Amino acid sequence: MAKRNAANTTAGSRDRAQPHQHSLVWLQGLLCGALVALATPTALLLGVLLGPAMLALILDRQQGRPRARSIALCSLAASIDPLRALWMTGHSIATATALLGNMRTIGLAWSAAAAGWLLAEVAPIAVRVVLEALSASRAARLRAERARLTEEWGLGSAPNDQ
Amino acid sequence: MANPAASQSNGTVVAGQYVIDGSRPLPPVGGSAAFAVTDQLTGRNDLMAVRVQRQFPPRPRPLQLLPSASIDGLLAPVAYGSSPVPGAAEEACYMICLAPPGPSLLGRPRPWPEPELLECVLRPVAHVLEHLQLRGLTHRGIRLDNVFQSRPGQPVVLGTAWAAPPAMAQPALFEPPYSAMCLPAGRGDGSIADDVYSLGVLLLCLSLGHGAMPQLDDAAILHRKLEQGTYAALAGDERLPPIVGDLVRGMLAEDPEHRPTPTLLLDPASARGRRLAARPPRRAQRSIPIAGREIWDARSLAHAMAVESEQALHALRAGTVVAWLRRGLGDALLAAHLEELVRHRTLDALPDDSNGDATLVMRAIALIDPLAPLCWRGVALWPDGIGTALAAAQDSDPETIARLEAVIAYEEAGNWAAVRAERCDFAVLRVEARQQHAWLQNRGQSAGVTCLAYLLNPLMPCASPLMGGHWVARLADLPPALEDAAGKVDRKQAAPVDPHVAAFVSARLERRLDNELTSLAGSEGSGVACLAQLRLLSQLQSRFHSKPLPALAAWLAAQAGPVLATWHNRERRAAVAARLQVLVDEGYLAPMVVALDDPVARSADAREAEWAVAELGRIEAELGQISSGASGRAAMARRLGQEIAAGFGLTALATVLAVAALG
Repeated sequence: MAKRNAANTTAGSRDRAQPHQHSLVWLQGLLCGALVALATPTALLLGVLLGPAMLALILDRQQGRPRARSIALCSLAASIDPLRALWMTGHSIATATALLGNMRTIGLAWSAAAAGWLLAEVAPIAVRVVLEALSASRAARLRAERARLTEEWGLGSAPNDQ
Repeated sequence: MANPAASQSNGTVVAGQYVIDGSRPLPPVGGSAAFAVTDQLTGRNDLMAVRVQRQFPPRPRPLQLLPSASIDGLLAPVAYGSSPVPGAAEEACYMICLAPPGPSLLGRPRPWPEPELLECVLRPVAHVLEHLQLRGLTHRGIRLDNVFQSRPGQPVVLGTAWAAPPAMAQPALFEPPYSAMCLPAGRGDGSIADDVYSLGVLLLCLSLGHGAMPQLDDAAILHRKLEQGTYAALAGDERLPPIVGDLVRGMLAEDPEHRPTPTLLLDPASARGRRLAARPPRRAQRSIPIAGREIWDARSLAHAMAVESEQALHALRAGTVVAWLRRGLGDALLAAHLEELVRHRTLDALPDDSNGDATLVMRAIALIDPLAPLCWRGVALWPDGIGTALAAAQDSDPETIARLEAVIAYEEAGNWAAVRAERCDFAVLRVEARQQHAWLQNRGQSAGVTCLAYLLNPLMPCASPLMGGHWVARLADLPPALEDAAGKVDRKQAAPVDPHVAAFVSARLERRLDNELTSLAGSEGSGVACLAQLRLLSQLQSRFHSKPLPALAAWLAAQAGPVLATWHNRERRAAVAARLQVLVDEGYLAPMVVALDDPVARSADAREAEWAVAELGRIEAELGQISSGASGRAAMARRLGQEIAAGFGLTALATVLAVAALG
C-alpha cells in the first residue's frame, strides 16, 4: 500500500513537471527561432562557438547538468570577444563567416569548453581528496583520545580499527 | 581476671605476680599438667598452676566468684591468665590455685573408720559444698585423686575443678549415671546434688578401703548402676558402718531431689534420720533386646535407646517398646503416653524427615526416664553443657558438631524440657534454646556453630590456625597475634580474618561491628570483604592496641587488590596504592581505611568514570560515522566540485564581460 502511494506520488510530480519542461522547451525554441530570424549572424557565430556546450547539454543527463553548465559558462566567456567583434563590425553574415574562418577564434572557444569540462571532472575529485584527508585526521585524533580514556579509566582494550 | 603475662628468667609470670616454675612439675590435675608457682609479691609458694587445654575452656563463673571468696577446704582459683610455655615458643593459659596440702586420698587404700570419715571427709566437704551452693556454684570434681589430706586425722581438701568443663575428668564411678552417660564435655554445671552424689561415692570407697567395681570399665559401671541402682551396684554385699551406710544410701539416690543437701550433711545424725524410700528399679517379667543387650528395666531401656537411636526408632515404630512397657513392665500409663507420642509422629510425619524421627526418640527417652539427659542421635548431654561440648568437638569431631548443631537448630532443649517440665525450668530452657537458635541463624551458615561455641564459652581462645602458639582469649590479644602471624603466612592467599577469627570477634564484641562481619560472611575475596576486614581490624587496633602493626598492615595491603580495583581512574588508583605503601610503613590501619575508602574521592571517581564512559561512547559513535561516511563524503565532494566548476565558469564569464564593457 505504501509502495503504491509512493509510486502515485512520483507519477504525480512527473505529470506536474512535464508541462513546465515542455513550455520551457517551447520558449527556448521560440527564442532560438527569433534569434535565427532576427540576428542570423549572431546565431550563426554562437551556434558554432557554443556547439560543444549544446552537445554537452544534450549528453549530460545528470540532474542540474553540472558538466554542461560548466562547459557552457566557459564557452560563453570565450565567445564574448568574437561576438563583440561581430557586433562592432556591422553584424553581417560575411563578418560572422570571417570570424568563424579564424581557427584561433574557434579553437579558443572550444578549448574553453574543454577546460570547463575538465574543471567539472577534476574539481569533485580534488574536493574529495580534501574531505578524506580531513576525515582521516579527525579519526586519528578520536582514536588517540579513545586510547587515552581507555588507558586512564581501564575501560577495556581499544578495538584495532585502524 | 585475665591479665597480661610476661616471661622472666626463672619462669613465666601470670597476672604480673605469679611465677610458674616449669622445672617443678606437679602431679597432673584431671589430665592437665601442673607446675609449682611462687607469688613474687608476697613470696608465697603454696600455689600451683594448672595448664588449660585449648579445646576445653575453663569455667568462667568459679573463676569470677571464687578468688574473692575464702572457703576452707577448697583449692580455690586465685588468678588466671596466659603466659609463654617454659622452654617453648608458644603461649598457654594457666589457672593459679592453691596447691594440695598433701597427697590425694588415692594413696590411702585402707578402710577409713567411721568417725574419721564423718569428721575428716563428710563435714569438711559438706561445708565447702554449702559455700559453693550459696554462690550458685558446683564443684563437679570430687573423686579419690582430687581430694587431698595434709596428714591423717586432718580435714580433707577438695581439689581444683575449674580449669576444664565441669565433671569432664570424672570417671563414671563418681558421677550420677545420668551425667556419666553424657559427652565428657557436655555434662554441664549440674547441681549441688551431683556433688553430693560424688561425695557419697567417695565415702563409700573410703569406707570400703578400695575403689568400687575396680574390674569394670565406665560403660559396665554405668549399666550396672542403671540396672541395680547406684547403692546396690557399688556396695553390693559389702557391709558399711551404720551411719555412713545410711548416709551414703541417701546420697546415692538416683533422683537428685532425694539426695540430702550439704547443709543437712553437716549434721550427719539429722541427715541419717531423713531416709527416703529409694525403691529399686522395677524389673520386667521379660526382657526386650535393644542395642545387643537384654533390657529388664525402664532406665536401662532409655539408656539403650539413647545409645542406639536407629534401633530404638524401629522398636518404637514396630510397637515392641509399647508392648513391652505394657505387658513386660506392667506400666500401662507410660505405655499409653508413648503410644500417643508415636501415633502423633506417624500422623505428622513428612517423607525423609530424619530429624523428626530423632525428636521422636528423644521425646520417648525423656518420657520413659524423666531423669535422663537430652539424648539426640547417640549423643547425650545436659543443656547447660552444650557450649563446652561444642568447644571440645569443634575441630576434632565433625559428626558430633553436626548433631549438636541439629539440637540447637531444632531447639531440642526446649522440646526435651517440655516433656519433663516438672523436673526443670521449662521456660528458661525454652528461651535459651530459642536464643541459641537465633544466634545460629544470625551468624551465617559457615561460622554459625563456631560463633556459638565462642559465645557460649567466654574464656575459650580463638582456635584459628593463624594464632600459631598465641593464646587469644580476649580481643586485645588478637592484633598482636595477627601481627605475628603476618610474618609466617602467604599474604596473598590467607586472609587475616578467617572464619574462626570472624566468629571470635563476632562473639566477643558488641553489635557495632556486625555490618563488617556480615559483609565478610557473604563476599569472600571481594573488595567488600577486604574493606570489611580492614575496617574490623582497624577498629580493634584503635580500641585495644595503640601500637603500630606494620606486618599486619602489609598483609592487609597485599589483600587490598580487589579494593584498589574498584577505583576506576588508573592514576588515582596508583596514587592510592602508593599512599597505602606509605601507611603500611607507619603501621596504623585506620588511615589505610580512609585512603582506600575516601567517600569524597570515591564519589568524584565514580562521577568521572561515568563521564569517561559517555565520552568513549561518543568517540566510538563518531568513529563509526567516519568509517561508514565514505559515500556521503563522495556525494558531497561531487556536489561541491561541480559547484566550484560552475563558479569558476561564472567568474570567467563575469570577468570577460567586465573587460569587454570597459574596453
